[in-house]
Amino acid sequence: MHDETAMHDGAAMHDETAMCDETAMQTSVLVDAVDRSREEHRPVEEDVSRASRDWLHPRVWLPPVVALGLLTLGWQLYAVHNRFIIPTVPQVLTQLVDHPGLFWQNLLVTLQEAVVGASIGMLAAFVLAISMCQVRLVERALMPIAVMLLVTPIIAIAPALVLAFGFGMTPKYVVTAVIVFFPFLINSLTGLRSSDPQAHDVFTTLHASKWEILVRLRLPSSLPFLFAAARICMPLSVVGAVVAEYVAPGKASGLGSLIVTAAALADLKTVYASVLVLALLGIGLSTVVVVLQRRLLGWHQTAVPRRP
Amino acid sequence: MKRPPLAEASGTSSGVRSSWRRQDVSVDVSESKGEVGLDVLGVSKVFETRRGRVVALRDVDIQVGRGRFVSLIGPTGCGKSTLLRIVAGLVEADGGTVSIFGEPPERATAAKHVGFVPQSPALLPWRTVLDNVRLPFQVNQKADGAPGRRFRDPVEVLESFGLGDVLHSRPAQLSGGMQQRVAIARALVFDPSILLMDEPFSALDELTRERQRHELLDVWQSDQKTVLFVTHSVPEAVVLSDAVVVMCAQPGRVRAVIPVDLPRPRGEFVEATDVFHDLERRVRSELRVAWNDSHA
Repeated sequence: MHDETAMHDGAAMHDETAMCDETAMQTSVLVDAVDRSREEHRPVEEDVSRASRDWLHPRVWLPPVVALGLLTLGWQLYAVHNRFIIPTVPQVLTQLVDHPGLFWQNLLVTLQEAVVGASIGMLAAFVLAISMCQVRLVERALMPIAVMLLVTPIIAIAPALVLAFGFGMTPKYVVTAVIVFFPFLINSLTGLRSSDPQAHDVFTTLHASKWEILVRLRLPSSLPFLFAAARICMPLSVVGAVVAEYVAPGKASGLGSLIVTAAALADLKTVYASVLVLALLGIGLSTVVVVLQRRLLGWHQTAVPRRP
Repeated sequence: MKRPPLAEASGTSSGVRSSWRRQDVSVDVSESKGEVGLDVLGVSKVFETRRGRVVALRDVDIQVGRGRFVSLIGPTGCGKSTLLRIVAGLVEADGGTVSIFGEPPERATAAKHVGFVPQSPALLPWRTVLDNVRLPFQVNQKADGAPGRRFRDPVEVLESFGLGDVLHSRPAQLSGGMQQRVAIARALVFDPSILLMDEPFSALDELTRERQRHELLDVWQSDQKTVLFVTHSVPEAVVLSDAVVVMCAQPGRVRAVIPVDLPRPRGEFVEATDVFHDLERRVRSELRVAWNDSHA
């Protein structure tokens, strides 16, 4: 019985991961497209004010709040009639309030796995993107391997990684790093190549070195793409951390491990409470990226245009 | 590579000499200020495309005297931008030689002797206006130590361009015309020996364009640089230049050189004179022939 549940979970997880991967890729392309169009049509004043103060306007916050409310209501209605399949909303919330320490401790573990793993993965991807951008040969040699890494379902290599790196934090970092690697690589590479060719001409006529062009033109041009990638990669890293915990639960804690153990005990309240915490974690991580982006990329999106 | 015999055209002081296939229009005005600033000799360029070979330039000769302002004009595909890019060292010629005050483009750019103004302002959006103009001092610094090297103060240049109020603004906060002026300031701040401009005003609306034209005239008047200027606009070419080089396509070559003898400094009144209109007509008729040649 337990085995079956575990297998079922595993299969479902697999699908989910694959889907996440795909959606992430699509989103990354989409975000790029949005960024591009913003570059082409410089923001008008309305855009800026909408971003800064319209959050207070009911037109903006009301629709999502209503939608969320309806969803919660639907959940609750379904749950009261199917108590053995999903817990009710109050049950989940009570579980959270009753055991704050449990969820907090496990959240910290998963957060650490996600952040450390994602940082390693993004840094590695960025360094590789720079060398691919500078030396075409590196791209030709390594891109197929990077694609192989992308198409291999992470869940398939996770058990092997656990065997190789043990039940500690290392396999979690590795899985998380692997899952963010490809989206970040592709976005960095696109970003590094997105620099204005005419600005490139100006640098060339000044006889700027390849290094000077990289530091003064390519890197700053790539920043919007790096942030777009980070917005995808941070929530994705939570997926990586949870997958790793699923494969190697028990010894190390974390919300993924908590879900596996709770599911084995048919403790649905804990399962759904953990899922809720994971969702909040994902939202939190991408919010941090957005805030950083607003701070650092004033010139890109939130510059106030003035045309005399 | 032998220099073609050049017929002396009388009464011209355009500072330009050009010939095509040894018998075409030639204007010789080395007498103007003596020194040759830009010497393009027998330059040709072929592009291999999927549809076959395209001869972008064939055997183009152009000579621009020091301190002369010369425009290249012609139908699309006549190779005027390619020629400019070859002079700027951005594209390599397949044949012929280019010399900028005696140096090939590669050496001239290495010594920061070439100021380039691209079609779009191509400013770095993350830098302020002032920092954009400071860029030339931050790259290729080993060229800065050359003896006799003169630099201009970025703030002074920007102020003289009427941009003193926006030194610390970002390019996105500026109008298109102002951005283009920043791009010109960036190309002039390191005092290059030649200024290359690739349709710098083509993205601007007509009114702004006319203003920029006259502002460029003022700038040029105060610091008479050798300029090679690519444009699509006949009045622009005439009002700015000492000579207009009309090119035609397939293959790209020089069709005619029209010296412009309008007195300098030129104000907006110049465009109302008969001489100006005559010159405009001449350039247009040459362009028409060039266009017909290209589409024959």
